[in-house]
Amino acid sequence: MDDKIRRRDPHARSEGLVVRELPGEVLVYDLERHKAICLNRTAAVVWKHCDGRTDAAGIARRVGKELGQTVAEDVVWLALDQLGRDNLLRERAAQPVELAGMSRRELMRRAGIAAAVALPVVSSIVAPTAAQASSCLPPGAACTTGAQCCSGSCDTGGSNTCL
Amino acid sequence: MTKTRGKLVAAILSGAWRAEPPALTCTSEELAAVAPLLLGSGAAPLGWWKVRATHLSEGEDDAAASGLRAAYRSQVLQNAVREREIEDVFGRLREAGVEALLVKGWAAARAYPAEGLRPFGDIDVCVRPGQVARAAAAIEQSEARLWVDLHDGFATLDDRDFAELFARAETLRVGATDVRVPGAEDHLRILCVHLLKHGAWRPLWLCDVAAMLEGRGAGFDWEHLLGRNERRARWVTCAVGLAHKLLGARIANTPLAGAAGQLPRWLVPEVLKQWDAPYATRQAPMRYRAPMRAYLRRPAGALADLRNRWPNPIEATIRVGGAFNDLPRWPFQLANCLTRAAGLFAPRRRTASR
Repeated sequence: MDDKIRRRDPHARSEGLVVRELPGEVLVYDLERHKAICLNRTAAVVWKHCDGRTDAAGIARRVGKELGQTVAEDVVWLALDQLGRDNLLRERAAQPVELAGMSRRELMRRAGIAAAVALPVVSSIVAPTAAQASSCLPPGAACTTGAQCCSGSCDTGGSNTCL
Repeated sequence: MTKTRGKLVAAILSGAWRAEPPALTCTSEELAAVAPLLLGSGAAPLGWWKVRATHLSEGEDDAAASGLRAAYRSQVLQNAVREREIEDVFGRLREAGVEALLVKGWAAARAYPAEGLRPFGDIDVCVRPGQVARAAAAIEQSEARLWVDLHDGFATLDDRDFAELFARAETLRVGATDVRVPGAEDHLRILCVHLLKHGAWRPLWLCDVAAMLEGRGAGFDWEHLLGRNERRARWVTCAVGLAHKLLGARIANTPLAGAAGQLPRWLVPEVLKQWDAPYATRQAPMRYRAPMRAYLRRPAGALADLRNRWPNPIEATIRVGGAFNDLPRWPFQLANCLTRAAGLFAPRRRTASR
């Protein structure tokens, strides 16, 4: 068993994260890993109820109450598996014996059969290269003249980067 | 597709700064053609805001729509991270006793109805003249690699006095720190002049003007916006007129409605030409290949790079303090070139910014 996996109730990580809620989803930026993550509503609600004092069955009940539908424990385990992989839990949750060793696909199939709600999805945000709205370049950016840099200084004699 | 790409950009961004934007009327082919322009100019989140309520947003396979959506999500987070940096910068400036105003970027993004719609890259900070060195030293102490564009007063942004702008500034809370931003009239004026000074090439900047204009409060002081200098007042009026003409900003029942409707004939086509390819790398000074001083020693390629230095007419007019009228622009463009050429022989100046 992985060292990080402990038999403790799942506890959401809060340090080093920037979290923003949008309609129907929650966006998370991991400041340590510089990674942007999107949680759909089911995953976000499961994450919210990971308080370190509630087991998966308890989380399933709370999530079901919040979403207004019965939520199977397998759905919670599927969410915990994904949240753990993306380092959104303090420690990755240990799965029960009957689920241990199952691939994510098998877990999804099993949870899907039992699910009345949308399956939890935790995905990386891969944005196309989008421009900022600045009118000058930051330190370290490639430049050819000082006028291009916010500092007014481009190292044209060496690295050709803004100072 | 009959519309030019510039016109399509204008059509997609029309009203996009509103909580409930007007219906989008474009095909998926047109969206696919314009999406790279929106992504490349920082307007992708606004593009998504407009697209999200249409059938174009439904297909996950639609690369253009899903690209805009991903850019929007990403921008929500990037802005949140940048906000922490603003808190850091202004906390440090406060501790160092520096009087500073935050302009454009975050301050302009407040006029939009949702987080992430208006990206902000660098942090534009204007400090009281004479305090730049102290400000730079304070910011330097941060462990984070901050992207701050530090201005000594407002000379590069407007002709207004720092003390006057500071006195009219609003104080806002960012995290645990107070941040001062210019009053609504001063800020709209700064945004108008900045837009034109850079040749209006970035569509987002015109959206800023439109968003601030429509989001103004009841006591908005139009006279203060325009100021006493008639030429500069005309610049502001033209920027407002562009926002109305190209993006559908509402200016009816404002004192500018009449004058803003009478734009110089060359202005709108010139902006649309910029919007056909609104990329920073195609703009001055980003398109310069080397400093002109370098060509004094090694002239190869100087002619081609000289061509890169021919300014766009909007930018040239502003930089030489010209009037926005129907007269030809080439005298302003030439004057701007000559002024900059004269600067070649002036002593080098280094800005204290980080």
